[in-house]
Amino acid sequence: MRIVIAEDNALLREGLVLLLTSDGHEVVAVADTGPEIVPALLAHRPDVAVLDVRLPPGFRDEGLRAAIEARKALPDLPVLVLSQYVEETYATELLAGGAQGIGYLLKDRVGRVEEFLDALQRVAAGGTALDPEVVSQLMTRRSPLQGLTPREREVLALMAQGHDNATIAKTLVITERSVSKHIGSIFLKLDLPPSDSGHRRVLAVLAYLNA
Amino acid sequence: MGLEKAMKYALRRSRDATTFLAGGLRTALPALLGTCLLPLVAFLSILVIAIPWLPEVARPLRALTSAERRRVARVLGHEIPEPYAPPRGTSFEQGFALLRTPSTWRDLAWMVLHGYGGLLAGVMAVALWPSILFSLSLPLWWWAAPEGSQSAFIVLDSWHKALTMPFLQAGINILALWWLVPRLARWQAWIAAKLLGPTRGVSLAERVEQLTETRAEALEAHGAELRRIERDLHDGTQAQLVSVALRLGLADRRFDADPGAARALFLEAREGIEDALTQLRTVIRGIYPPILSDRGLPGAVRALAAGQHIPITVEIELEVGGTERRVPAAVEAAAYFVVAEALTNIAKHSGAAAAQVTLRRDGDRLRIIVRDDGKGGADPARGSGLAGIRRRVAALDGDTRVDSPVGAGTTLEVELPCGS
Repeated sequence: MRIVIAEDNALLREGLVLLLTSDGHEVVAVADTGPEIVPALLAHRPDVAVLDVRLPPGFRDEGLRAAIEARKALPDLPVLVLSQYVEETYATELLAGGAQGIGYLLKDRVGRVEEFLDALQRVAAGGTALDPEVVSQLMTRRSPLQGLTPREREVLALMAQGHDNATIAKTLVITERSVSKHIGSIFLKLDLPPSDSGHRRVLAVLAYLNA
Repeated sequence: MGLEKAMKYALRRSRDATTFLAGGLRTALPALLGTCLLPLVAFLSILVIAIPWLPEVARPLRALTSAERRRVARVLGHEIPEPYAPPRGTSFEQGFALLRTPSTWRDLAWMVLHGYGGLLAGVMAVALWPSILFSLSLPLWWWAAPEGSQSAFIVLDSWHKALTMPFLQAGINILALWWLVPRLARWQAWIAAKLLGPTRGVSLAERVEQLTETRAEALEAHGAELRRIERDLHDGTQAQLVSVALRLGLADRRFDADPGAARALFLEAREGIEDALTQLRTVIRGIYPPILSDRGLPGAVRALAAGQHIPITVEIELEVGGTERRVPAAVEAAAYFVVAEALTNIAKHSGAAAAQVTLRRDGDRLRIIVRDDGKGGADPARGSGLAGIRRRVAALDGDTRVDSPVGAGTTLEVELPCGS
């Protein structure tokens, strides 16, 4: 994949480039300040962008703003936003323009290389990758979730993070059949329209949590 | 604000003012009694023989003014300090000192003013409520009322007067309840604060003392904060990283002999680092929530409100003279803490269905109001959340007011000075 990176910390930037190139990807451009991001994305049209939230010159939320702005110009551009801390509001803003091809993860997750690359892959393919911490913030806000069993909540959380049935089954050490059963029951309880396609399901769940 | 909300607010304001003025009757009646006795004391004092008794005479007066100070302090949100100097010398000297100190005369002035004014205001505020019903029902039975009965200062002697004037009278009463009664309450509190508090010279000295005290408290709080951060980093993150280094060292030694065990150690090390990062995030959030740097106070408060179970309306006006000026970081952090803590309290205890957060810059003060429609009855003395808010606000020389009548929601009002 062709990737554009925005990260101001040199060590982390080099680490990311190393990690991505060793997995066979090509880093086509590297931005280390906020204003560089959008022009770089427009010029290179990468398969996916990996953006840090806090960047020079303001050290505020430049990366996040750039992500939102870039998605307005290139709606299909997959963007994975990385941050030292996650904030539910930022997730809401990122997802406001549609959850397709959106990732929002804690920087810590880079340490789990396989999972990180998997999330990147998912986002590049138009899927979603939300940090478990964001999902739990979103879930504590919705009180109707109290009607769900603990297992159903686990399934819902993994679904909201953007995982498919196979991954959910593997993570919870249950069969895919029972995952589908749990999902059916969740959708029934939350009064969501049933949909089998993995991706539309994630969108429904996120729309529900985000409402 | 919707009309219904505005009306609810006005009703509440009038009700609270009436409660306050009615409570004023408890000090107004003794004050009136004192006013009646005043000529006698004055006469005896002129004859000099009563001067040694003056301290005894002043005692009930001071008990009364103390009661008033406490009552008024509850609505003002800050204490009214006592202006009295400690008594010195013989009873004769003490009596003379009493006559010389301005505070005695100010106490007396308050006594006369409150004796008459407080009685009048209290009776009027209480009587206004039933008199609305009285006026509204008058058209039904005016013909049975005693001859010469008036409504809106017009004698009721014909049907067309009886069908109009009582409504005008009710209107006047409602207007008085809406406009006059809250102002009367404010004036009463203001007069008490001015007359019963220390005079300017004394009050400046007091202010210095109070500032010294809050500064000491702020330093103390700051020190405690630094120690807490140090402990969190030392016992948590640092220890965690040491154990990670240890595991990596062990993994290095075993790498050739037992790659499987080395790998397990690597994975443990990674988990240790993840834990350390999580701890660091918590510590950082406690020092200065990152969203405050990212979004400023308005954005951070909106994010807090958006993360709640119940709908929270947020109103923020931080403009001074048309430009938004940033509040000092310490004040921002305290304000954020106050709102976060208040919202947590609401979620945990109030059972509210909705709440409102208002942030306003009034000159050099930042005013924070958090209001909910829950079950009320919050006691700052018991809830650790409210006590924490009070401490943090006091450390910055701010004021905290909690109004939480049982069954009628809770209003938390905090004022923080933010330089100029």
